[in-house]
Amino acid sequence: MNGKDSSEPMFIERLGAPLGDLVRTLREIFVLLGRTVRTVASERADRREVVRQLFDIGVESLLFIGVTLGVLGVISLYQGCTQLERVLPDFSRAGATYLATLVREFGPVICGLMVATRTGSAIAAQVGSMVVTEQVDALRMCNTDPVRYLVVPRFLAGGPMLLMLTIIGVCISFLGGMLTARIGWEVPYSTYVNLTMVHSHDVVMGVLKSLSFGYAIPIIAAHAGLSAHGGSEGVGAATTRSVVNCSFAVIVLDFVISSSVYLVVN
Amino acid sequence: MEIVGGLTMLFLRILRALIPPTFDRRETWRNLYKVGVQSYAIVAVTGFFAGAIMVIQTGDFVGRTGATGLLGWGAGFAVLAEIGPVLIGLMFSGRVGANNTAELGTMAVTEQIDALRALAIEPIRHLVVPRFMAMMVMLGLLTCIGDLFALFGGALVSQWILKVHWRVFYYGLIESHLLHEFLVGILKAACFGLSISVVSCYFGLRVTGGASGVGRAVNQSVVASAIGIWVVDLFLTWATYL
Repeated sequence: MNGKDSSEPMFIERLGAPLGDLVRTLREIFVLLGRTVRTVASERADRREVVRQLFDIGVESLLFIGVTLGVLGVISLYQGCTQLERVLPDFSRAGATYLATLVREFGPVICGLMVATRTGSAIAAQVGSMVVTEQVDALRMCNTDPVRYLVVPRFLAGGPMLLMLTIIGVCISFLGGMLTARIGWEVPYSTYVNLTMVHSHDVVMGVLKSLSFGYAIPIIAAHAGLSAHGGSEGVGAATTRSVVNCSFAVIVLDFVISSSVYLVVN
Repeated sequence: MEIVGGLTMLFLRILRALIPPTFDRRETWRNLYKVGVQSYAIVAVTGFFAGAIMVIQTGDFVGRTGATGLLGWGAGFAVLAEIGPVLIGLMFSGRVGANNTAELGTMAVTEQIDALRALAIEPIRHLVVPRFMAMMVMLGLLTCIGDLFALFGGALVSQWILKVHWRVFYYGLIESHLLHEFLVGILKAACFGLSISVVSCYFGLRVTGGASGVGRAVNQSVVASAIGIWVVDLFLTWATYL
């Protein structure tokens, strides 16, 4: 790092360095995932700690999810109806179409991104400050596995809670859209609430997405926190890395699940 | 409430420092470079996936009706006006905003900001205004690049996954005259950059309490930035259709 003894890196090295970093980070994340799953399978998790994480990840994010998804509903219906007005002024399918996209795409993804932002950064900040103040080393000294004590409860809490947050978020967003359509375009509530366009594969896709985001975020955030080093600067860097990696994982997983479900259904 | 008041005060102090423009020019250039280069790759990849996902989602509706000409309109509109700027803004807030809070927070807990004050260098003019300018300008410009990659990703997906020829996608896009949406998207992105910079500087400057304080501040900063992005988006969506 001091740059004195290392000569200027060659072009190929500079080109390959980010790719090498990416591969290394991915491998470390999968190793952590493997260790977590093995610990979950072989030992009983600390139930009190799991409940606390369920509260931390789920209940504490509720207001944040409610606000952001509500705003999303208002914006989407506003955009959608102003576009429809130009093409064909028929708003009878607006609610049904919005609900379908919400269930399989925007609900899970926006909830995932918001949880990645809020919980991902919080986990990395907690774990990272434990690492730099040597509390994780202290755990090891006491013969407590940091993965079992720190990562497993968050991992177990992530999946179910993100699923529930998504369900609540979809409802709030749908309601926000309903009010917008009623006030702005006088779409009656009975026309707006229309479930005919939601197919079973949409619901399966939404549930699959939110569960996979929910299990991925704690692992990625804990990985970022555990790899923190240095003082306050290190914790800041770990938290930043966690937000980026988690949001990125959400987007990539979304693409993978969307395209594979599309290919399977069609 | 205290936070909203603090953010408003910081924003007013930034504006005050801009009239007359007596901020650090060299620092501004350095920040422009740093912000742009730091987030270039992430914006490009986010844009690519945003375009790809929107084409798949639009493809599901288009597939039922068979009107493949609408693919470019649907996906293009969603990406340029809404999803592109918001997703890129959220990633930018994670990358640059969080980094900025961590940097300023580290300076605050190691008393470097007090040292600047002791040397009669005002932190607003020296630290905050250059970052404010850099984020606002760069997020606007980066969104142009992100949009380009989004349309590229959309074309690839429509060709390979939807089996719709990429030319059909591009013709649909060009024929739907989305210049207004594109410009609205860029305007949105610049305003997101503005709100991200104010929020991240505010939370960075008031950090107390060592390493865990910095972590907590970054957490609060990204949450507040995300809320800021949605609120700005709501307001601008409403304002641009008046």
